[in-house]
Amino acid sequence: MKIKKGWIPVFLLPAVVLFLLIYAVPLLMVFGTSLFDYRLTGTGMTFIGLDNYIRLFQDPDFFQALTNTVIWILIQCIVHVALGTFLALILYKKPRGWKFVRTAYMIPNIISNAAMGMIFLNIFNPQYGVINSLLKAIGLEHLTHNWLMDSTTAFPSVTMVWVLFAGYTTTLVLAQALSIDESVLEAAHVDGATPFQTDLFVVLPLLKKIIGTTMVMAATYMLQMFDLIYITTNGGPGKATTNLPLLLYGVYKGENNYGYANTIGVVIVVIGVVAMTVINKAMKVNEEDY
Amino acid sequence: MSPVQMTMKERVLCVLKYLFLALCVCLALFPILWVIMSSFKTNAEILSNGMALPQNFSFVGYRDALTISPILSYFGHSVIITVISTALNVLLLAMASYVFARCRFRGRDALYFLLSLAMVIPMTALLHPVYSVVQTLGLYDTKAGLILVYTALNLPMSLLILRGTFASIPKALEEAAYVDGAGFVRTFFQIMMPCAKGGLTSAAVLAFLQSWNEFTFALVLTSGEEARTLPLSLSYFTAQFSFNYTALFAAVTIAVIPSIVIFAVFQEQVVSSLTAGSVKE
Repeated sequence: MKIKKGWIPVFLLPAVVLFLLIYAVPLLMVFGTSLFDYRLTGTGMTFIGLDNYIRLFQDPDFFQALTNTVIWILIQCIVHVALGTFLALILYKKPRGWKFVRTAYMIPNIISNAAMGMIFLNIFNPQYGVINSLLKAIGLEHLTHNWLMDSTTAFPSVTMVWVLFAGYTTTLVLAQALSIDESVLEAAHVDGATPFQTDLFVVLPLLKKIIGTTMVMAATYMLQMFDLIYITTNGGPGKATTNLPLLLYGVYKGENNYGYANTIGVVIVVIGVVAMTVINKAMKVNEEDY
Repeated sequence: MSPVQMTMKERVLCVLKYLFLALCVCLALFPILWVIMSSFKTNAEILSNGMALPQNFSFVGYRDALTISPILSYFGHSVIITVISTALNVLLLAMASYVFARCRFRGRDALYFLLSLAMVIPMTALLHPVYSVVQTLGLYDTKAGLILVYTALNLPMSLLILRGTFASIPKALEEAAYVDGAGFVRTFFQIMMPCAKGGLTSAAVLAFLQSWNEFTFALVLTSGEEARTLPLSLSYFTAQFSFNYTALFAAVTIAVIPSIVIFAVFQEQVVSSLTAGSVKE
């Protein structure tokens, strides 16, 4: 089939151009411009070497944002993934209504983050929100808070907007669990294992790889988290709920300091690489077969 | 073991299991149901008791939402941008995936690896450079700019799904087409594309949801009323809505209904597309 060859570049070109324009070139620009004094106002770009990085290490806002980002990644990789996996371990035995549970649990992951943000902005509303209404109804008026604006409650409240909605994790782990050969479970039963022992010692090890994949997804999701925070607390009060993307956005749009914003971008990319390597190592995601 | 023979401990565990499942369902559905319910209440009802059911169903909130804000035109922008970027994404990535799955050429595996790296690049790190690229192309604050970015955002997922799809189609089909004298392009569009319908739908549904829901790039790449999308309208109009909660809840309802409908219709596709590539059978 020699007619083929000429068409290969034509078929590849659009995808390659998209990749270059939106991924490769911006990635190189982030690294490149982090070495420059590059602002909206000013005389173009001046090479300043590592000055932006030096500012980074003297910037308390950066350390606050870095800490928040890392804590959120850890919470998501542990609590969120564990919750989703636990639910999948119940559903794979196909109890009554398992498909309905899977579908219902996916819905918060399907609707837009902007809508989720607005919904939770109202759920946490101090006047008419669900939380305070419930507290008042059961006579715990003294526990009511301005949940998203109070510096002691803002961080855990914002976390609640995403940490409990593990529909993607459940769906992925469940699909893998359903593909486990019936005979494996049968054998465990014959050997006298209780359902709990089977889950813990037979099923879970078989799910290690997919759980690793969902951890990578959870980590990259949290590393990039912007919209839900922007809409609910906008990083406040103070910098209590600012993560690296919000800090970057603030430097980029508020300060118009593109060089420094892109330096924060470099840190985000590096954390992404580190997180993925660590999770892959820990969960042996790339290891072929068991 | 039949339920009759269950021991006390097993019975308790069974009850706990269903309680947990019920809790998960409530947790997932409650926020959305609360918003939809509140959109039918009056402002006074919302403020006096956030949890009470509406006294009589009123559509005033929806009327207000449509008149106070250009939510309808934003809805239109979202439809145009999402439909075009989804179609483009699936078409262009199908072409590339077909070549990756079927043709041998030098550097193929290296190029595929390079493109699949897009999956792991945290895109919010690239806010300013992507803005620069779009600005340089003269596409800032246009629908075309968002279409370009959204088509690219779904590149890695579609590539993963579609390469697998094309690789799983038997080679005999296209060989027969070539024997019959069909060219490369015709074989692709008339033979291969229909065979890949399942994968194409999966990729399209995921691309649609991602583009429909995208917020961050819409925020950075638009400034006026020309290209702003529905997710943006929600936060953009908080100020306008600040004393009209009914309208606010109505606007949120308008924004979430399309995603839920698409998900309800293509549920199996969403599940299979999510699991494609990451779950090993």
